[in-house]
Amino acid sequence: MPLRRVYLDNSATTPVDPRVAAAMARAVVETFGNASSVHGFGQQARAAIDRARREVATLIGARQNEIVFTSGGTESNNLAIRGVCEAAAAHGRHIITSAIEHPSVAGVCADLEKRGWEVTRLPVYGNGIVRIEDVAASIRSDTVLITVMLANNEIGTIQPVSEIGSLVRERRAVGQKHLWLHTDAVQAVGRLRLNVEDLGCDLLTMSGHKLYAPKGVGALYVRRGVRLHGQNVGGHQERERRAGTENVPGIVAFGEAAKLAREEFEQRSLHDRMLRDRFEDAVRERISDVVMNGDRERRLSHLSNISFRFIEGEGLLINLDLEHVAVSTGSACSSGTLEPSPVIRALGVDDELARGSIRFSFGKDNSEAEVDYAVEVLARAVERLRALSPLTLVGR
Amino acid sequence: MAADNLYSAKFKEHLAHPRNAGELPEANAIADETNPICGDRMRLSLVIKDNRIEAVRYLAYGCPPTLVCGSVLTELINGKTTAEAKQLTRADLLESVGGLPSRKHHAAALAIETLKAALEP
Repeated sequence: MPLRRVYLDNSATTPVDPRVAAAMARAVVETFGNASSVHGFGQQARAAIDRARREVATLIGARQNEIVFTSGGTESNNLAIRGVCEAAAAHGRHIITSAIEHPSVAGVCADLEKRGWEVTRLPVYGNGIVRIEDVAASIRSDTVLITVMLANNEIGTIQPVSEIGSLVRERRAVGQKHLWLHTDAVQAVGRLRLNVEDLGCDLLTMSGHKLYAPKGVGALYVRRGVRLHGQNVGGHQERERRAGTENVPGIVAFGEAAKLAREEFEQRSLHDRMLRDRFEDAVRERISDVVMNGDRERRLSHLSNISFRFIEGEGLLINLDLEHVAVSTGSACSSGTLEPSPVIRALGVDDELARGSIRFSFGKDNSEAEVDYAVEVLARAVERLRALSPLTLVGR
Repeated sequence: MAADNLYSAKFKEHLAHPRNAGELPEANAIADETNPICGDRMRLSLVIKDNRIEAVRYLAYGCPPTLVCGSVLTELINGKTTAEAKQLTRADLLESVGGLPSRKHHAAALAIETLKAALEP
């Protein structure tokens, strides 16, 4: 029973919700004023931005003026990390992060490292989760930033950010005033109940296109009192934190998406988990020699990362694509580098299993029929590739 | 689909339906090669009689170009003399699969390497 197209790559990006698209389309045409203009057109744009800001803030339990709109998760991560480190440089140049951050965090840390900062990268062990003892042991008097993602994009594991937040508060209470906690929450927003007070974070990154809004818009939560060196300068927008005429349609879309994410949180969570569990149960039943990557409990409920023994990820991915099922892989071949996914490797998994890993990520627009179809296609493709693989003979 | 931009119709056909996949118990020429950089692997099993390739099977592990180069290779060499098969170049194979992006040329290289190793006396 071939279906038209089955999209199981919601962690890469999500389809824009029609209600979000409608709000954005209206804003594109009707709300064209520059929000910095004093006249009515400008103020209309300003009001639209403020409404969106309120929604985004409410979604994460923040104050409105703690939300900075950006062009997306990558820019937010750059602003958070560079912004804090540059502002705090006189007090220290040590950063703590994890071994499994998104490239937009890992890349910024690596860049700062070249410019004289020291970076400690915490291991994640077999379950894909950072240990709080390692964080505590790594904090030094010259540590100015801890940046640990809330949920990993490849394997979905949830990091102990609120525990790290408590650690940071303890250190501040005994005099280490310039220690900040940032978390990349791009995968977690809309999927976990978030509250910045509970997390104890000072900065938090959000991305529109992971939340059924379009690409090109995101936000950074910046707790009142955090000193941030702006990265886009030359304008007063976003309370001097991010210069540039605001992307009103994108911001309006993001606001609408945030509102829907909050209102529909329960049903979306249940739906996504149900599909993911249905998928994993069927895979375990139908396909042998599979390894499920990442902690089974402390992970997002919409995502499944599975290694298929004896076969290579991109081969499986393209085979699935030929039958209109879209997923992603941590295999090196597809990423254009020569190393398999650093996230899967960080679990201690061997190269072959790392190369054979596929990520399936479910969303609100997926159905049970799609899951069942995907499992059929997957089982056939795995069988075909295993029949072709010289490793199958050796491995079994 | 992804393959629309990257791969030819022939490529997609070979990926969906690999030709001559498997092993030959009666093979008298076998080679196993690995690309040390990316870990892709190929195994060729041939039955050679009177300097002619009478039967061929292949196994492959790796990205789609590797899987497809193996399949297309077997069609190119089946029934040919060993002298003819030795003439086959990477460029011939690349043309036969409908072309590949340069970062995937290693797949054709692996297939030709495996063929050469199998045809060694």
